[in-house]
Amino acid sequence: MAAKWYELITGSLDDKKAYRRYKARIAALPEPYGTAAKAFERYFMYNGGITDGDSAVMLTMLNDFADLWERAAVDQTPVEDIVGDDPVEFAEAFAAAYAGKRWIDKERNRLTETIQNLEGKEER
Amino acid sequence: MGKQTTEMLKGTLEGIVLAILAVSPAYGYEITARLRDEGFSDIAEGTVYALLVRIEQRGLVDVEKVPSEKGPPRKVYTINAQGGAYLDEFWRTWSFLAERIEQLHHRIERTNEEGE
Repeated sequence: MAAKWYELITGSLDDKKAYRRYKARIAALPEPYGTAAKAFERYFMYNGGITDGDSAVMLTMLNDFADLWERAAVDQTPVEDIVGDDPVEFAEAFAAAYAGKRWIDKERNRLTETIQNLEGKEER
Repeated sequence: MGKQTTEMLKGTLEGIVLAILAVSPAYGYEITARLRDEGFSDIAEGTVYALLVRIEQRGLVDVEKVPSEKGPPRKVYTINAQGGAYLDEFWRTWSFLAERIEQLHHRIERTNEEGE
């Protein structure tokens, strides 16, 4: 479906709907899973750094994230078994799985290119 | 599991999980359970889950969604040809590393003994 002109301003409506569906899934989680999921979500929003241009990656990540917690809630897996003893490390590892399109990649590429070009000049 | 174990496992866990999948396809929880059986007792399910996502995105496994009685469908992971190639390389790298580190260990022990 072609994007409508107003989606240029508002962002994709399909993405918005998908995001709302995700939000509803998290809101429906029983405790303590709901609180845990929301705490990680907050951390992702600060730290995720996923490119604005790539909402698809973000949505894939959030849906996988919702799958994980819904599964845990159904199986009654203790939160501790899901996140291990270091929640920050878990959050980083989880987000890193989707890190293919992070804003920092641009800077990584720039750094790599600059240094490569340097080496080229050093060859005599 | 100690901090050092966790750190050391980081680089090898992909290979370990692929090795487990090479035995038979499995879903996330089964993989965690098998890892625990193998003595990786404190491994977090979420860590394995994140890792599975990563190897899926890198095309090392095929994924099939299997409906479950309750909750969302379970994703069953099967190692594919690319994953197999990765696993072969993993074993070669592992043997190389293990051999080198063991040699270093022995050499240091010998040096210490001679020094006494």
